[in-house]
Amino acid sequence: MPKIPFGNWVNDVVQWLLDHMSWLFDFFQSVFDGVYNGLDDVLQAPPALIMAAIFAVIAFWLRGTLAGVLTFVGLGFIDNLGLWDHAMDTMSLVLVSTLIALIVGVPLGIWAARSNRVSAVFRPVLDLMQTLPAMVYLIPAILFFGSGAPAGIVATLIFAVPPGVRMTELGIRQVDQELVEAAEAFGTTPGNTLLRVQLPLALPTIMAGVNQVIMLGLSMAAIAGMVGAGGLGGDVNEAIGQLNVGLGAESGIAIVILAIYLDRMTSALGRQVSPLGRRAVAKLRATQGLNIWSYRPRPAVAVIGVVILALVAGGMGVFGGSSSSTASGGDATNVGKGRKITIGYIPWDEGVASTFLWKEILEERGFKVDVKQFEAGPLYTSLAQGSTDFQTDSWLPTTHAQYWKKYGKDLEDLGSWYGPTSLELTVPAYMKDINSLADLKGKGGEFGGKITGIEASAGESALLKSKVLKAYGLDKEYKVADSSTPAMLAELKRAIARKKPIVVPLWSPHWAYSEYKLKKLKDPKGAWGKGDGIHSLSRKGFGSDFPQVDKWLKSFKMTEKQLTGLEAEINKAGKGDQQSAVRTWLKSNPGLVDKLAPVQKQSMPGKGKDPVNVAYFPWDEDVAATYLWKNVLAKKGYSLHLKQMDVGPVYTGLASGDLDVNFDAWLPYAQKNYWDANKSKLKDLGTWYSPTSLEIAVPSYVKGVKSLADLKGRGKTFGGKIIGIEPGTGEMQILKKDVLPGYGLDKEYKVVDGSTPAMLAQLKRAYAKHEPVAVVLWSPHWAYSTYKLTKLADPKKKFGEGNTIRTISNKDFPSKYPQLTKWFKNFKMSEDELGSLEAEIKKAGQGREEQAVSTWLKTHQDVERRMTAS
Amino acid sequence: MSRLEAEDLYKVFGRRPDEAVEKLRRGADREELRADGTTAAVIDASFSVESGQIFVVMGLSGSGKSTLLRMLNGLLEPTAGHVRFDGQDLTELSPRELREVRSRKISMVFQHFALFPHRSVLENAAYGLEVQGVSRETREQRALEALELAGLKGWEKSFPDELSGGMQQRVGLARALATDADLLLMDESFSALDPLIRRDMQDQLLELQKTLKKTIVFITHDLNEAMRLGDRIAVMRDGRIVQIGTAEDILVRPANDYVESFTKDVDRSRVLTAGAIMGEPENGYDASRAPATVTADTPIIDLFTPCSTSDVAVSVVDEDGGLIGVVPRARLLAVLGEPVGVSADA
Repeated sequence: MPKIPFGNWVNDVVQWLLDHMSWLFDFFQSVFDGVYNGLDDVLQAPPALIMAAIFAVIAFWLRGTLAGVLTFVGLGFIDNLGLWDHAMDTMSLVLVSTLIALIVGVPLGIWAARSNRVSAVFRPVLDLMQTLPAMVYLIPAILFFGSGAPAGIVATLIFAVPPGVRMTELGIRQVDQELVEAAEAFGTTPGNTLLRVQLPLALPTIMAGVNQVIMLGLSMAAIAGMVGAGGLGGDVNEAIGQLNVGLGAESGIAIVILAIYLDRMTSALGRQVSPLGRRAVAKLRATQGLNIWSYRPRPAVAVIGVVILALVAGGMGVFGGSSSSTASGGDATNVGKGRKITIGYIPWDEGVASTFLWKEILEERGFKVDVKQFEAGPLYTSLAQGSTDFQTDSWLPTTHAQYWKKYGKDLEDLGSWYGPTSLELTVPAYMKDINSLADLKGKGGEFGGKITGIEASAGESALLKSKVLKAYGLDKEYKVADSSTPAMLAELKRAIARKKPIVVPLWSPHWAYSEYKLKKLKDPKGAWGKGDGIHSLSRKGFGSDFPQVDKWLKSFKMTEKQLTGLEAEINKAGKGDQQSAVRTWLKSNPGLVDKLAPVQKQSMPGKGKDPVNVAYFPWDEDVAATYLWKNVLAKKGYSLHLKQMDVGPVYTGLASGDLDVNFDAWLPYAQKNYWDANKSKLKDLGTWYSPTSLEIAVPSYVKGVKSLADLKGRGKTFGGKIIGIEPGTGEMQILKKDVLPGYGLDKEYKVVDGSTPAMLAQLKRAYAKHEPVAVVLWSPHWAYSTYKLTKLADPKKKFGEGNTIRTISNKDFPSKYPQLTKWFKNFKMSEDELGSLEAEIKKAGQGREEQAVSTWLKTHQDVERRMTAS
Repeated sequence: MSRLEAEDLYKVFGRRPDEAVEKLRRGADREELRADGTTAAVIDASFSVESGQIFVVMGLSGSGKSTLLRMLNGLLEPTAGHVRFDGQDLTELSPRELREVRSRKISMVFQHFALFPHRSVLENAAYGLEVQGVSRETREQRALEALELAGLKGWEKSFPDELSGGMQQRVGLARALATDADLLLMDESFSALDPLIRRDMQDQLLELQKTLKKTIVFITHDLNEAMRLGDRIAVMRDGRIVQIGTAEDILVRPANDYVESFTKDVDRSRVLTAGAIMGEPENGYDASRAPATVTADTPIIDLFTPCSTSDVAVSVVDEDGGLIGVVPRARLLAVLGEPVGVSADA
């Protein structure tokens, strides 16, 4: 019977889904990512100890004094280990997974409880979900959801949904049938029976299910670490990958602490939310009397406690969401260092536009900016008093002359950034034969004898009526219909939409000029007078307090096109959204910020680019190279998102475009199978380190074994075993297929499949006991510097030529990041350099890679220059 | 017209129930159907209940009495036949209308009380009103009244698991009474209680019934209970009603051996009345010498003391005092021993 091509079918289905359903997966990915990031931001916002205190108060409320104290101690311990951030990542991942698992699981459980057929269909599916090895769906999860939190959430979901469904079904089915019948006998609708009888009575069981979901979610945390979900799972993987038992234990204990906390809290919550549980607890308490360790505050007290702690956190200025935007600027651009500047503005279009433009620019430069809206008079007062730092909308010398006269001595004129302005009458461009004020004469009938005016009190209205119309002899023919600026604009819009004749007083700059095709009527007689310039004014002393900003403002200039474009953008966004409109506009005017507010810095080609997703293996040379690049590129404005992952997921992620780069591709042999499977979607950016080699190594205390040929006949010494690594890797395949048969060892030795950490553990154990052992190893590897090992010579060259360590990327990477691609292609490291960097990182310890790289770079500035040579 | 009428009710569980009903109508019996994998729970049941009556359905477990009861309020849909309450055919109502009827006109008391453990006694009693959508204030007021009727004043705030079985069933009764439903379905409601408490509850039910005048269908497997409570009794066997009649009918004129075998355990002296066993007075009977004068519905247990003091027969009179019969000592003793003998005279 031919083999059923089950695997091919699965491949076809996966491919089909990728081709046709990716929009759906993308949707879920962004939902998962959004929820996860949102929760993570909240959990990460307060300082660790305050957050720990909040968790402790919750424990105090749900379980009593002792639980509260233990919670604080346990979480404090996590913080002390330096794992707080990752613990909160894991917590967010688990909580989000739990939430989604319940949203999915509880309704399914209810459905299954109501229909035996549904239940029968669900059962095998749930069995499948629970028993299918996680590795099987981890890789597809990356294909569909990308690496990182969403894939982790999906993996967790697959594992954690079943108990949610099962326990809900069980809980509902357990409810006494007579009670359901009683509810029906009194005319309860099925929906109400569910809500009032079945769910309340099933709640303890459902909460037990919730508890199970959380526990299973946490147990998946380590596995989720393999797909770049980060958190404690990532730490565990990294530690195990480097055989760092201590660190593995630290992360493991942190997971356990979280698990115990969540377990106890959800089971206590189960008692709190279910009416039966609440009563049982109350009874127990009544019999026990007051005990300090089990004393529990009432919910109101607990809520007050949490709120107070949250306020404390807020008061420390850590709950702000905008902190990220200033932090990303890097050191060179952080001129403000959080100092506060207050800008005042009059709610005129150009005032709003320029003010919010500066707010955005100054915030990007690290200032904290407050904007306050004023009427013209109060604004000048406020500036003169020094409570406002500067404003950008002073019309001088004419319009604001009176204010200047009054307050000028307490103000600094930072110069005109726009000018000249002008007042004018304007008609739509389709009014072909009207080009100047003089052309209006005799056309009164066409315009209905009306000029649609603005506020009667405005200077322009006065000027129009008293001077301009008279100068052209239009005062008999036209009447100025006073209204308001918005009414005039609305009228203008309406007329334009219907191509009706209209004439309005307007001024430049005004966004209407960029929004509509308008024509300013020429004023050959100069009746409107000379235009003002728009000046920036600051309070006295601003220049010495903020010399840098003073300089920027003094050289501030905008063209009419820029200003009206910005005004139109702000107008479109509407009130309250001015700043995001400014951001949108700045995006279409790249480089403007640097022009308006230049800072001394190196060239920042990476500024504004998307962060680069770099995946790395927890192997020394990759940690070294990756963190080195992160450091070097940060100074060029690139931000690198690092994700630590397993080999398979990295290749999958790169191929799917979810990851950008990896610096540790061992090609053409060791990772050949991964490369071959994905090569159409990958780019090889060249070798940065060579040569490497694959080999079998034995401790040097095993005398007389120098080459592979020497293994022959010594099978007994080594117990007939060669300790291998992951069976899928290229090296293992070469070993089994070519090397052992090539030296006639295949009968005598068996290759033990396992994992790299397991192999290293075995080596360590044998080494400590001075026992003979033969392991599959490669160079460079830290084991050679830790232990005295002999690389067995391979005279027949059966292991093939050495691999080189290469940089590989997604296939679209070179076109997206040409500069980076060039740098990566030129990247080379010598054995000394790599060795010393690895040593530096090892010395600093895990979690301090960045400091280690900085330290190392101080003595290796040439490497940095070489890496980013233009 | 009768308040509640059941007409040709069938309930068959299993596949193709309609076919099974046809077979039953053509005379197939339960065993034949069982071979097909269908179960006939109720077969061709018809009866009617007058307003204010207690109608007891008596039968052993598996006789179909609970199924019959559940068809009366539509918890189970009859496979065939009709149920009419107040002239409304319940089998023709939509689920929604049926729920409306259940919530306002028919309530039910369960064997194992079926109290909601997550609700207080008061909330349990108010449940039916809550379903009706009565405001909190009104429904708690009415639930309190119902609890007081059931003798549970002062227990409102307790929870069901804090009460004894008898008290729990009082809550069940209060819950049924609170909705002011006219029809009360009681499914072996006292069977789970201790004998003494059961007696108490029976007394209380009869006491309540004097003032409330509900129409009650009461299910039991205990003939003594049936006889005590029932104005009329239906005896069921294997899904069929084998006899309907008053307590006396059942006892004195059992329709068949099956019914008769039931009556053996019954305390006849409390069920049989003077009227049922009296005979013609002999010639020369002097009513003035009789040790006692009773009416026809006096239970015979009240005749023993007078009979033991005199050889003269006790005289039985009608409402106007006219002599309608006598009960001599020998007759009195004989009916206690031989169940069937009485039927011949009556």
